Amino acid sequence: MIDFAPNEDQQALQDAVRQFAKTVLAPRARETEKLRGFAPDVQATAVEMGLSIASIPESAGGPGFPFVTRVLLEEELAAGDPAAAYALAGPGAFALAITEICDEARCKHFLTPFVEHPDRFGAVAWGEAKPVAERGGFGTSAKWIGNSFTLDGTKSYVVGASRADTLLVFAQVDDAAEWNGVGAFVVPKGTHGLSIERVTTLGLDGADIASVRLEHVRLPRASYLNEAKDWSHRLLRFFVKNALLVAARCTGLQRAAIEVTRDYVQTRTAFGKPIGHFQAVAFNISDRFIDLEASRAMVHRAAFLWDAVAADQATENEAFLASCRAIGFAQEAAMRAGNDAVQLHGGAGFMRDYPVEKYMRDAKQLQVCGMTTTQTDQLASRIELGLPLEWSLLIPSAESQNVFV
Amino acid sequence: MDFLLSDRQKALREGIHGFAASVIRPQALSWDLNAGIPEPFLKQMVQMAAQMGGQLGVSLEPAVAATPDEMSESGEKKKSSANLTALIGAEEMAWGDAGLLLCLPGPGLGGPPVRASGTPEQKERFFGIFKDMSETLAWGAYGLTEPGAGSDVAGIRASCRKEGDEWVINGRKCFITNGARAAWTVVFATIDPALGRAGHRAFVVEKGTPGFGVGRIEEKMGLRASETAELVFEECRIPSANLLGGEESYRSKEGFMTAMKTFDNTRPLVASMAVGIGRAAYEYARDFVKENYLLPRSIPRYAAIAERLAKVGRQLEAARMVTWRAGWMADQGIPNAKEASMSKAIAGQAAINACIEAIDICGAEGTIAGDHRLLEKWFRDIKVYDIFEGTGNIQRIVISKRVIEGLKGF
Repeated sequence: MIDFAPNEDQQALQDAVRQFAKTVLAPRARETEKLRGFAPDVQATAVEMGLSIASIPESAGGPGFPFVTRVLLEEELAAGDPAAAYALAGPGAFALAITEICDEARCKHFLTPFVEHPDRFGAVAWGEAKPVAERGGFGTSAKWIGNSFTLDGTKSYVVGASRADTLLVFAQVDDAAEWNGVGAFVVPKGTHGLSIERVTTLGLDGADIASVRLEHVRLPRASYLNEAKDWSHRLLRFFVKNALLVAARCTGLQRAAIEVTRDYVQTRTAFGKPIGHFQAVAFNISDRFIDLEASRAMVHRAAFLWDAVAADQATENEAFLASCRAIGFAQEAAMRAGNDAVQLHGGAGFMRDYPVEKYMRDAKQLQVCGMTTTQTDQLASRIELGLPLEWSLLIPSAESQNVFV
Repeated sequence: MDFLLSDRQKALREGIHGFAASVIRPQALSWDLNAGIPEPFLKQMVQMAAQMGGQLGVSLEPAVAATPDEMSESGEKKKSSANLTALIGAEEMAWGDAGLLLCLPGPGLGGPPVRASGTPEQKERFFGIFKDMSETLAWGAYGLTEPGAGSDVAGIRASCRKEGDEWVINGRKCFITNGARAAWTVVFATIDPALGRAGHRAFVVEKGTPGFGVGRIEEKMGLRASETAELVFEECRIPSANLLGGEESYRSKEGFMTAMKTFDNTRPLVASMAVGIGRAAYEYARDFVKENYLLPRSIPRYAAIAERLAKVGRQLEAARMVTWRAGWMADQGIPNAKEASMSKAIAGQAAINACIEAIDICGAEGTIAGDHRLLEKWFRDIKVYDIFEGTGNIQRIVISKRVIEGLKGF
């Protein structure tokens, strides 16, 4: 039966993270921005709270949270600082990717170290700046030479790369197979030939975004992960679920941006009354609250459907469709919230004394994280039109739009 | 958290859907062109509703949510799923034909104020006529809007004065759904316009009361199967027993609050109907794309159209989620005035946009009327969903007052 309320456990977690976000993440957001990462004491608190292992399944020693719990936590973190989800320790997207594409034994093998060392980071190196002109697939190559793989190439838009203890790197194993010839490799930090160059981005300054260069990086057979027959489908699932977490962050960002703006328009006066008492301003705020309400409910429903798929109570297509709709809506709504927040603050909003300019930059950044709305819309319409899910057309790449993973 | 429908809700949805597809839709255009639905069909609908265990899903009247007061009395939360179930039914009915939903016999929009504020005697008397409609169909109606006061409810000018054991009403009401055929109508009038809301009184005016007449029946853009009437009151004498809630209930500002309470539960219902119409248009366009644009060779318009389609789909999903949440809150006994307004605001616009986009996607063909080509009709039907039950801007006033501190009005 329909129920919009989180259960007691979820409520307790939500309260704890909300408190952390309110008392630590939000007040220190500017510091985080300058440091381009969290201060050690913030990291330590988050690790203590168990946030760094939130993405790890039970089989690998993690809490094995339902997806609903995951999105609840992401919203709370993002309401404190939208960069938080990317800047706090933990395997992050690496864990989600491994969980989706590997069997239980390998999942355990790769993720247990993150439970034993909860201050570690992980990253996924997917994107490439330029498409290959002659064929489909990546330019970064993985060749089987002697008794090891040799990787060469440059991956871009990698979140958490320079802090990562382990990276999941995607490279072309078979050129002729084009997008079906892509392989995934686990690359530990410090591997010879691996170099990482951090880049500066528009928003999410606390996140650590970098390019990853691979020069004759040699890897053992065991680091190659593509055994599963439905590999491409698993990859699609990873992208959609990862983007759904982005949508949860977009929801948190909206909340933070709207609430601070609501408070501002109640105190700022013009023409003899608070500017929030003018319809143009109040209606604008109301519309953003409607967006927030819709984003949150859509994200919750989509996350619930993934849990229901796991329990055989919903089909995967239902979960894909609900997720695509939630992602597109939440991303666009976050951008509207960021933009309007600055607008309603007027000139002050443009200044870094107020948090809203950061929200606006972060919102734009989140729109190119996980998946773009163009991609989720294309996927949604293919499901609705009964077309096969041609994963290579639907996932982000230099052939469509690149995203931060 | 749970987003799966109960088995009962699923069965209701499937039942109404099948009926809507096979019985309602094939007749919808002729009802629209003939500006009415034949009584034999409405009788059939009444029988069906009775068989389905009451009026669930096929009535404009939602269950009235437990108020927080009721909760504290018993010490535990009163929870149900009646509101949410009604929303699911309304979406499906409107997917078939929204006009039919408005024509269904029953108390209609007049039901909630009587249920919320009526005395036990009034409830018995006014709801009694709907108990057995196997022979005679009966409707209730709700008369608030006037030619000079729509959104600004406080500005109504219809007057009432007490004379002995009677009240005398003068004035006009307009755009009243089922106004001409209603057995009774809840009518709002004022004892003194200078008193504003405090001067408002609500009466149940019975058909045939001397001095009460029907003016013109409106010709509308859409929802043409539904009757929209003007009501005229000239020295119309009403017994005191028909003052809704009795004298006592007007000692405070409750008189006006009666009117407002009505909307908290009906707005999500209207929002759900909008989603139903929008979904009909969306599915029509989707199927049109499937049949016409998905050729073995790739055609240039496909990718852009696919994205437009997806955008409509996600806006409707957003509207449905906000609406369900508002209904769920009512079921939980959580005050939902803000969320109810949100649902109405987002659903009206999402559904209008769905109809506008759907015609664009289909092109010229989308505007041609026919028994199985209802898109142009939905386009005409949907516009009023951003107008009646409070325009989009009125919803935003309701929301603004609840999110901005110290804001009493504009």
